[in-house]
Amino acid sequence: MSIANIAKSIIKSINDGDTLATVTLPASNFHEGTVKLATVLLGKKLGGIYITTSRPSSQIVAELEEAKANLSDLYFVDLVSMTVGGNTDDARTLFIESPTMLESILLNISLLERRLKAKRIFVIFDSINGLSIYSAPKVLKEFINVLANSMRIKSIYTMLMTVEEQTDDDLAAALELLSDTMIGT
Amino acid sequence: MAKKDVTKPMSLDPRGGRPREKCVTGIEGIDRILNGGIPVGNIVLLAGTVGSGKTTLAMEFLINGAKNGETCCYISVTEPSSKMLSNLQTYGFFDDSLVKEGKLNIFDLTVINDRLGVERLDGTYTAKDMEALLGAFEDIVDELGVTRLVVDSITAVCYQLPDKGSIRNFIFRLSQFLSTFGCTTMLISETVVDSNVQTYSIFGVEEAVADGVFLMGNIVRQGDLLRSIQVIKMRGAKHSRARHLIELTPVGLAVIPLLKWGQDGGHAFT
Repeated sequence: MSIANIAKSIIKSINDGDTLATVTLPASNFHEGTVKLATVLLGKKLGGIYITTSRPSSQIVAELEEAKANLSDLYFVDLVSMTVGGNTDDARTLFIESPTMLESILLNISLLERRLKAKRIFVIFDSINGLSIYSAPKVLKEFINVLANSMRIKSIYTMLMTVEEQTDDDLAAALELLSDTMIGT
Repeated sequence: MAKKDVTKPMSLDPRGGRPREKCVTGIEGIDRILNGGIPVGNIVLLAGTVGSGKTTLAMEFLINGAKNGETCCYISVTEPSSKMLSNLQTYGFFDDSLVKEGKLNIFDLTVINDRLGVERLDGTYTAKDMEALLGAFEDIVDELGVTRLVVDSITAVCYQLPDKGSIRNFIFRLSQFLSTFGCTTMLISETVVDSNVQTYSIFGVEEAVADGVFLMGNIVRQGDLLRSIQVIKMRGAKHSRARHLIELTPVGLAVIPLLKWGQDGGHAFT
């Protein structure tokens, strides 16, 4: 499935009133594809929260800027930079000290929600697989369950990004059970 | 036969009855846990290990009250008030004017002791000293019209009392007049963890007399420390007994339920 078609499926899913989508991309164009999807949604005048567990937010900002995305209503929750000693001084980003602090993600989403100007907002979680490096499967599944239901209660459209080659059957089944729609390969 | 009114859902609170007037802490998550706040006039033991966030929580409780127009008071037992004021500047939610306007009052217990002439060389209060100290607390609350009080820490005060009976008597008397004045109080209790079990106090007396107990601690998750809070009891209020994560954010403390599987079986307090 091409990125353009995935973007169309996401827009349709939003218009259908879904709140939770699992979006699966192959490892070969995962980062590029995720940035493109965020760019498309920002172009539709949605405000966004980008949660990064796999790359520093500064790198994603640079890629979004290169893609000419409108970043005026986009904020980040970064679980990477503090762990690796990267730049942690950015007004649009809340940094989490360690990727094991999963509850902090939910707290920081709540904080950033207040800053967003757009009426319709999205959360892009890049990626579920990034968290699995640090958390045991049962912890990760519990977190996904809490995250999904929190976003559902708030009616925030949430995309759980997963890498096709890194998602085992057990995790995929858990995601399918929770998601309104499964998009991607 | 009269039709049954189906528009009003039946209350699911098994306690029934009418809820007590609440002191809204203004701390995100805490009021939700307490079903609206701390019942007015209750004495709450804020028990926790070092670095668990006790003083920060107590301070935000006072600052939120002061911002709401209440007169609030902090009695510092373990460090000089000047140091406490410097620390306050580091909180994004603190406002200098609250101190200037007399809404947030900070006292040193050592200064109170000096004025009362109760400071003993052996560090122990006599029965007469205890009466004088209770009288001083009562005067502060009465004269200033204090509605929120924090004693940091009650453990340090207890160390100066000769025995458990005196501790029980002191806290009981303190709670009696504070309740009469409608002053909601937090007593900070320094605790330790022994064989993975965290106590509520050093002397084992304070928690029995207090109306409420908040247990704060650090949970180890893969080497990282996460601050936690759990409400053990709160007289006069229905409350959650689940363990929650507590985190300092730019807008103050925030509280969220802890993941159940992320608690290392509950045997990881420090």
